[in-house]
Amino acid sequence: MHDLTKIQEIIDRAPRSSGSLIAVLQDIQREFHYLPCEALTATAKALDVPLSKVYSVSTFYNAFSLTPRGERVVRICQGTACHIRGADLVQEQLESGLGIKPGQTTADMKFTLEVVNCLGVCAMAPVVVIDDKIHGNVRCDKAVKLVKKD
Amino acid sequence: MHLTINGKVIKAAEGEMLLPAIRRQGIEIPALCDHAAVEPCGACRLCMVEITRQDWNGWRRHVTSCLYPVEEGLIVSTHTPQVLEIRRTILDLYLARCPNSDVIQKMAEEYGLTKTSYEIIPEGDNCIMCYACTRICEMLGKSAISAVQRGHKKVISAPFGKEPPDCIGCLSCAFICPTDVIEWRDQNGTRTIWSRTFELISCTACGKQILTRDFADYLAAKRAVPREYFETCDDCKRVELSRKMGGLVDLAKEVAL
Amino acid sequence: MRIDSIDKLSRWREECRRTFTAPQRKVFVCLGEACLANGAEEVFHEFQKLVAERKLSDVTVESVTKTGCHGFCSLGPLVIIEPDGTFYTKVGKADVAKIVDKTLAAREVIDRLVYVDAGTKEKKVDYHTIPFYARQQRISLRNCGAIDPHKLVDYIAVGGYGALAKVLATMTPQQVIDEITNSRLRGRGGAGFPTGRKWATCAQIEADIRYVICNGDEGDPGAFSDRTTMGSDPHSVLEGMIICAYAVGSPQGYIYVREEYPLAVVTLQKAVDQARERGLLGQNILGSGLSFDIKISRGGGAFVCGESSALMKSVAGDVGEPRAKYIRSVIKGLHDKPTVLNNVETFATIPVIIERGADWFAAIGTKKSTGTKVFSLAGKITNTGLVEVPMGITLREIIFDIGGGIPDGRKFKAVQTGGPSGGCLPENKIDLPVDFDTLTEAGSMMGSGGMVIMDDRTCMVEVARYFLSFLASESCGKCVPCREGLYQLLQYCIKICDGVGTEADLAQMEQMAKVIQIGSLCGLGQSGPNPFLSTLMYFRDEYLAHIRDKKCPGGVCRKLITYTINDECTGCMACISVCPVIAITGEKKKKHIIDQALCSRCGSCYAVCKFDAIDIK
Repeated sequence: MHDLTKIQEIIDRAPRSSGSLIAVLQDIQREFHYLPCEALTATAKALDVPLSKVYSVSTFYNAFSLTPRGERVVRICQGTACHIRGADLVQEQLESGLGIKPGQTTADMKFTLEVVNCLGVCAMAPVVVIDDKIHGNVRCDKAVKLVKKD
Repeated sequence: MHLTINGKVIKAAEGEMLLPAIRRQGIEIPALCDHAAVEPCGACRLCMVEITRQDWNGWRRHVTSCLYPVEEGLIVSTHTPQVLEIRRTILDLYLARCPNSDVIQKMAEEYGLTKTSYEIIPEGDNCIMCYACTRICEMLGKSAISAVQRGHKKVISAPFGKEPPDCIGCLSCAFICPTDVIEWRDQNGTRTIWSRTFELISCTACGKQILTRDFADYLAAKRAVPREYFETCDDCKRVELSRKMGGLVDLAKEVAL
Repeated sequence: MRIDSIDKLSRWREECRRTFTAPQRKVFVCLGEACLANGAEEVFHEFQKLVAERKLSDVTVESVTKTGCHGFCSLGPLVIIEPDGTFYTKVGKADVAKIVDKTLAAREVIDRLVYVDAGTKEKKVDYHTIPFYARQQRISLRNCGAIDPHKLVDYIAVGGYGALAKVLATMTPQQVIDEITNSRLRGRGGAGFPTGRKWATCAQIEADIRYVICNGDEGDPGAFSDRTTMGSDPHSVLEGMIICAYAVGSPQGYIYVREEYPLAVVTLQKAVDQARERGLLGQNILGSGLSFDIKISRGGGAFVCGESSALMKSVAGDVGEPRAKYIRSVIKGLHDKPTVLNNVETFATIPVIIERGADWFAAIGTKKSTGTKVFSLAGKITNTGLVEVPMGITLREIIFDIGGGIPDGRKFKAVQTGGPSGGCLPENKIDLPVDFDTLTEAGSMMGSGGMVIMDDRTCMVEVARYFLSFLASESCGKCVPCREGLYQLLQYCIKICDGVGTEADLAQMEQMAKVIQIGSLCGLGQSGPNPFLSTLMYFRDEYLAHIRDKKCPGGVCRKLITYTINDECTGCMACISVCPVIAITGEKKKKHIIDQALCSRCGSCYAVCKFDAIDIK
């Protein structure tokens, strides 16, 4: 069960209109590392938006996860420049090093692996972002160490 | 205003879409996501036609006739080889997605296809993603179900795949679905749809089941209709009305005498 | 303190200018994302600390300025000392003390940190002489790397909001529209629609409200120019939007920023707050009677939201599903009201056109594509980063003269422009001028300026597969040709990459591609087949090699290649440690062996081998 007061605080910060939906969901995502059901229900009620629409929005956009993510989120960029400069290799090393595939979380809930379609740091391809920290020119043989030490 | 459809000049009203104007000429165009009860959305793309104008110097464009408004001087062709190719390919793609659907099979046969040229999608079912169900539910004011996910994984679903809290069991979605994909069942005084069970109201006069309690409550509130109105079925209402009418006739006779 | 008149703005500008130019020398530390990732923030703080301690006569702590992206990302962290133009590359925290002692105090140049031309080996101290910069004409990027993006006073000092003052004091809305029309500026987001015409259409529609939206979605993988402008010169975007609002008559604007750019959101919000505080946004701007405010709208992570109608749905808090654009969004856009939607680069260019005039702008570039364009150089190219060049420059000049050519001794193979809506052009096409129309005629498009260079170790069929996979996952799913068609096209492409495709498959793909182009509801689907069609047009022999010979000429497609270790192997064991499937065995200083039955053909061993000991066949 999640702290409903925290959820209410986040909702109250935004203008009370349907246009705030995505921003509210992002703030909830940031706070809880995913979108709990009760948060979606509360949001639907507060912004006067049908629950089905809130659910559609939370499954449409890449930013949102309906299942809990790990403490650290490891995002590999698979934009064109990163792809050309070996992002696949970095991804494979991370998959085998963490033992999970993109979209999954390690059993100890420490790491979630995700693929992103371009972070805009193409000049430093291949790029890995761990939480909010950007790592550029990531070599495939250094990728796992990067994640484990950070 | 006037426009040309397949070489014939016809009249159309300002603000109407090409599709009804075309159909009025007796020309048949497939349109799976089109339904009189809801606003057009241009999802199936089958109703595409070719348009051009005199001053376009031969340049042509393809548009969905359900969403393109009529224009003075527009020249429309509904069955050019390119248009037919587009429809055929779309139906071919539908066959890959809904291989067991009678509706799709029949339509595809008209375009010379008996089976898909592409890889059959393993999780494909008979839902053709026409969004008629979500549109009608939204129009009713409930929006209990919606299209979720994106791209290839897009499906129609209730929130969280569970019982939709906003559903009232009206069956509009099931009735409007062109391929009968939405399952529902009435039995033992209850109705089940989208995994949610509703209580059915029975007619106080004859005991026949009429509609769900939630639907009745909703209609009463939304349409400012007295709630008791839903306690009798239409047939019994007619009987009651004719009894009252009969009584009035007798009264009229009495007064006339 | 509100600046409530144009006079007050002029006086404040003088103050800001005095403060900005007070230190005789300035040290600019680039804190663009790439430099930041390499430790630039530490470099900045170290400068602040040591300059404060050192007490130099012409360099104070106020001289040390953190800036947004300077553009030459592959050489970061960058430190630039003005007015000399001294350009130091790959500066680490440990280098700062030396820079302070030698360059700042003693005016000596530190050779080790100076730029060296990869080809001629020439050293160039002043960045103005470096070809990467010398050949640019920075209009929309004019302030990037030259001011602190978080300080409104810096923007004012370099002339910011001067164009807005000129507009409010001396021009009618129609005159503004005419000026933009006469400049022949075309939208920089990719479609290249004439900006003046868009504004004029919006202004003419009777409506109770009109909106101005800035498209900061920049979803094209490989493009990062908008991110740079938003994060390095946010006020230039605001100023362009306010001028637009005046011209078309709008009280409310939005900047839609994609979810993947959290720093840009923060920087823009700060800029909006600063502008509001000073009365440059909000009610009665500069006492002119114009009221306009801006909200930052955050995207949720969807490439399709770069499309105008999908973007507007997202601003309204809905899923980003486009609608058929038979009625354009300039007529019925956000909330069904007339809306001007323009790209970040377009808005950032507006103030300059107003200041320097339409004729000046129209004289740059080509007749049909006036002005400059920003390109994001990335991929297999020596100099990665951001460049702004006049339209009409050739691809060859950008790739080789500015970009420094292909690194690691490899050969140029293709240049990908226009993102997933664009295509790949081969060597015999790189003398084409870059503008809105020429590249489109050749089967690609200029797009939003992303330019990804590919070398001979690229498989063009795999590139098509990559783009199809991207588009299939980013499709909104509403219409059949895009949702089902791109998916099926992808399946065919995978078959070819795996060596089980046929020529009949190729014919099916071409037919399907045509239907997807014509039949799709929005631009994502309509241009989706482009990467496939362009690679097929120029690299058909590669497709046929995969199909007929079951070979991958680029050495990429895993099912068609093998990795073997040759006699150059020194037994260093580097490959063993990276093999994800433990397929390599060997002892130290003895030649290693790859077990072909276990090898997944990932290429990690090839990537780490320093001795060219791994062959790809």
